[in-house]
Order: sequence, then structure tokens, then C-alpha cells
Amino acid sequence: MHVLIIEDERKTAQYLKKGLSEHGFVVDVAENGEDGLHLATTGEYTFIILDVMLPGRDGWSVMTELRRAGRETPVIFLTARDSVDDRVKGLELGADDYLVKPFAFSELLARIRTVLRRGPGRHSDIVRTADLEIDFLKRKATRGGKRLDLSPKEFLLLWLLASHSGEILTRTYISEQVWDMNFDCDTNVVDVAVLRLRKKVDDPFSIKLIHTVRGVGYVMEDRADGVNT
Amino acid sequence: MVCLILTFSGLFLDWVLRHDMELEDRQFLAAEMQSIRILLREYPLDIKAWKAEIERETYAAASTFIKYYVRISDEAGKSLIETPGMGQIADNSLFPKAVRASGTSVEYTKARSLDGKPLLLTSAVVEGYRVGDTGRIVRIALDMSHETAIINDYRQKVAFVIIAGILISAFLGLLITKEGLRPLTELTSTVKGITPEKLKERVGPREWPAEITSLANTFDTMLNRLEESFTSLSQFSADLAHELRTPINNLRGEAEVTLSKARTVEEYRQVLMSGLEEYERLSRMIENLLFLARSDSRNSGISPSPLNARQEVAEVLEYYDAIREENDIAVTITGNALVNADKTLFRRAIANVLSNAFQYTSGKGKIAIHIDSQKTSLQITVIDTGIGIEPENLSRIFDRFYRTPKARSLHPQGTGLGFSIVKSIMELHGGNVTVKSEPASGTAVTLEFPRRGDDSASDSGRRNM
Repeated sequence: MHVLIIEDERKTAQYLKKGLSEHGFVVDVAENGEDGLHLATTGEYTFIILDVMLPGRDGWSVMTELRRAGRETPVIFLTARDSVDDRVKGLELGADDYLVKPFAFSELLARIRTVLRRGPGRHSDIVRTADLEIDFLKRKATRGGKRLDLSPKEFLLLWLLASHSGEILTRTYISEQVWDMNFDCDTNVVDVAVLRLRKKVDDPFSIKLIHTVRGVGYVMEDRADGVNT
Repeated sequence: MVCLILTFSGLFLDWVLRHDMELEDRQFLAAEMQSIRILLREYPLDIKAWKAEIERETYAAASTFIKYYVRISDEAGKSLIETPGMGQIADNSLFPKAVRASGTSVEYTKARSLDGKPLLLTSAVVEGYRVGDTGRIVRIALDMSHETAIINDYRQKVAFVIIAGILISAFLGLLITKEGLRPLTELTSTVKGITPEKLKERVGPREWPAEITSLANTFDTMLNRLEESFTSLSQFSADLAHELRTPINNLRGEAEVTLSKARTVEEYRQVLMSGLEEYERLSRMIENLLFLARSDSRNSGISPSPLNARQEVAEVLEYYDAIREENDIAVTITGNALVNADKTLFRRAIANVLSNAFQYTSGKGKIAIHIDSQKTSLQITVIDTGIGIEPENLSRIFDRFYRTPKARSLHPQGTGLGFSIVKSIMELHGGNVTVKSEPASGTAVTLEFPRRGDDSASDSGRRNM
């Protein structure tokens, strides 16, 4: 999958390139709006990561021109400006998502996956990780054939982790998705909730599925093959 | 304006004067006519007597600067007697047509004499006293040149007074304006001298005229507010710098120490992860600070809608289910009401208050939430049985970044902005937040939302803003 990063901040562009490359993307970088627009309209990209503040032609303008040229490549805006007006403007211009700096890289990955999934092909209503199986429609979670007794929010949390299996989810993202709390309120609720979920999902079993990623968040994956943190 | 008033009063006085003088003249002529009438009746044929009497009268009148001429003729028009000079003054054609009138109703005309003097003329037919006597026509001409002279003189004087008045009032006006504006000029220069560095200065303590005092006071009030916000702003910047200093120092130190010699992969991992934790805290701090900065600058940019307070609180409470169950905290909600508030902001305020309550209430504690609907306000009170706040720290908890020492040690990842955010959200809604607390026994936080008159009725029916 081919990705274009239009970003004038070298450090940002570098670590994005590195991170995305390591996740299997082929990455091109443009350091200003003109070059970016040229690459975006001539090349074939799976998606574009676009900074708003660029020298010369800014992100808004690149976006507008790109859509005018008939390109429907998904675009994720990156910006340090996060007023509601800016968000709305970005989305109105046809951006697929809008991420405010500073953001967690894992959050960017999650958003990219969401954007890519939006196309054809829905993800399934049943997900499995190791011997954990969750049926979203039936609101049923089983592990090793045994039904887990979960509260509705616990079920949602488990579903979120399982359906993003292998992806690190930040606390912010989890709060937003499970409890619809899209603001910080100085609390360790997510940690406590995950802790309690682990007691039900992991504690009775030898293979642990929910892992803490220090400083970032949580990830669900089957590490039975020896990967360790 | 003054010119107009002066001119109009001048014209008015002129008119009054002329009018009065003419009235007086007419009355004089009427009286004269009357006395001649009596004379003619008493001495119908005695022309000598007429003459003597008329001479006496004209002479008497002359002493008061009144000059008039009399001509008495028979009905055919032949002059029987006339005062000397009458011939040069007016012939009969100038006079109004004589009518047989009695009493005082007399006809008057104004005309110029043959030699150009202004005259007021009257005439009358006086019936003979006895039957058969022919009537006499009496004509009296009053020379008004003296009065005209007076009027002209008067006009000149009035004109002079008006012009002088205009000039003087213009000059005085200039002087008064200048004098009146002097305090304003001084005020302006004082205000000009107040710069951010000299915000302590005030315009008030001086003796200002009464009209300026209120302006000066207003200025001072404004300066007080400005100084307050300036101080709090610089205090805030200082606090912010301080808050940033600690995590950045940690990050820098950790990186430096780690790089100073070769480490195991595990050690590098530890440093990076510890760094990530700091970064996350810094990011949250930035997000909260931006929220506060925006609340400060938007004065009414919120979009309130009627919310079911209990339902909203219950939904936010769900977020804390894990902590509640983990710590075995009993939570109760009582009361319900509609609250007019911005949904996101309302939830954020409640969440911040609840975060504090849950964070600092230990196992088997209690949290009680009361929704209390009153006439003028709606109060949501969250009472916990947590660690409480010492009285000496209570006043500072709304300060940005402020955290009590206990809170710092119990919950090091906090930003110290929670209550500032609650306060700023309440201010955006025109309400307020109050905190009561007792160390070791608990804290009560009350959010008070104002109600508008029409809200009290809307508990049952919905209403849109």
C-alpha cells in the first residue's frame, strides 16, 4: 500500500515514514504543498497524510485542488490547530479524518485502518483472538467455550480491543469509543476498567490476551508464540 | 443656536415695540378725536374756541414730543380751521373716508406726508348738535417721525446687542468648552500614560468635576479588572512555565543519562516508555489548556439545549462504573430537572467533578448526587466521603494547576486543571460552582445553573432556546 505524507516538519515526516514503513506501507514524503499536490495528482496512493500548515500552498488548498482534479484518495489531516471551525473546514473540504497534534502514533494507525475499512467490505460481526470469540450481534463473548459474564460496557470494551486485535488503542480512543467521553477528565477510569476486564477475560486462563503498552494504552493480541514485553 | 435665539428675540421685541407704539398712537388719536368731538358739540359754532382749545392741546402734546395736526372742515370739504403746517403735511385724499361714527371705533390709515414724514391718519364726521346744523369733518394727522426715529434707534441698538451677543457668546462658548473639556484633556493624558507596565496607576484620586467623576470611576473599575486579568495572566504564564519545566526536565535528564553510556535494550525501552507517559500527560495538559483559553475568549459561544439532568449525570456515571465497583463506593442520585446547558460542556463539568469525587474517595465510601430544582436556579451537588480539602487550600482549588499536596501524591498524573475547567464551564453558562469541604470527612461540590423565567415551567414541557 502506497502512502503519501505531505509534511514540512522533517522530524514529523521522518518518524511517520519510519512508523508506517514498519507497518507495511510504502511511503513517499513531500515537504511542501506544491510538490505534494503534484505527487498526489500524478501518483496512485492508497491514502494521503496531509499537514495543514505548509510553506507555499497550504493543506486546505492542496485538499481543494486534489478534489477538483477528481482524485478521491482518502486524506487524513494532521494539524496543530484544533478549533472546531478548523475541524469542520477540513471535513467539509473532503478530508476523511482529522488528527490534532500531539497525537499517539497508534491512534494514527487506528484512524488509517478505519479510513481504509470505510471502503467496500465490512468487518465481520464475529471476531476471534486465540480461544476468545465475540459475537457482536448476540452480545456474547466466550473464551475456551465458556461464556464470559460481562456488563454492557465491559462487552463493548472487549469488542473494541478484539476487533482491533494487534493495534494499540490509546486511553483517549477507548474512552471515546466505549463511553462517548471525548474529553480528558483527569482520571484513570480506563485503567481500572481494563483491569477489571482482565480479571474476567485473562485471569482464569494461562494465555493472556490483553496487554498494557506503557505510556500509550492497551492492545489485544495472542502472544503465545513467545513475544514478550 | 445662540444667534438664532438672539435674532428671534430681537425681532420679537421689535414687533412688540412697534405694535405697542401704534396701539398707543391710535389710542391717542381716538382720545383726541373724542375731545374734539366734545369740543364741537359744546361750541358748535365758536371757531375761536376750537382754535384756542386745539392750540392748547397741540401745545401740551408737543411738550411730550407728540406732534399732530388737526383739520376741521364742513361737509362740503371746505376747511374751517386747521393747525398751522397741516397744509404742507397732508391733503384730504390721504385720510380714510370719514364715517359717521360715535364712540371709539375710528378708522386709521398710515401714509407718508407730502414732505415724507410717516403719518397716522384718522378722520370722522361729527354730527351737528342741533337739528339743521351741518356735520363737521374732523381729520387728525399724527406725525410719527419721532417714534420712527425711536424705533430705528432701537433697532440699531438691538442689532448691535445681537451682534455683540453673538460674538460674546461665541467667545464665551469657546472659553467654556475649553475650560469644561480641560478635565477630559487631563483625563486623556492620564489614561494615555497607563501602559501594561504602569497598570497600578489610577485616574480616580484627583478632584474631578461631578460629570467627569463617574467617567473616572468607570475608568478605574476597568483598570482594576485589567490589572486583575493581567496579573492572573502573568501568574498563569509563570505557573504554566513551572508546570512544563518539571516534565521536560525529567525527559531531558532521562534521555541524557541513558545516552551517556551503552544500555541494554530493556533499559532503552524503559526510558522511552517512561517518556511516553510524560508526553501523554503533557498532551492532556495542552488539550485542557486550550479548552480553558477558548472558554476565556468566547463569551457566549455555547449552544444550550434543555437536558434531562438526571439522565445525563447517570450516563456520565456509567463511565466510573469500574472504579465504583472496584472501590465498592455507594452512589446515589436524587431529584431530577431539566437544565438548559450545552450537552458536551455539561457532561465535561459533571465528569470533572465526579473524577475528583471518585479519585479521592477510598473504598466503601459514598457519593451522593442531588439534583435540586429551585425557582431561580438548578443545583447539582456532588457529596463524597473522601479525603477532603484543608480549609487553607480551599480557596486555591480553582486556580489553574493548583493541586493540594495530598492530591499530588495520590494522583500524580493529574493536571490540576479539572476545577478550573468546571469553573469556566459554569461561567459560560452564567452559573457558578462552590465547594465545601472538611478534611478526612468529605467534599461537597455544587454546580448552580441559572434558570430563566420560562424555564421553571419547562420541567414538564420541552422548550427550545
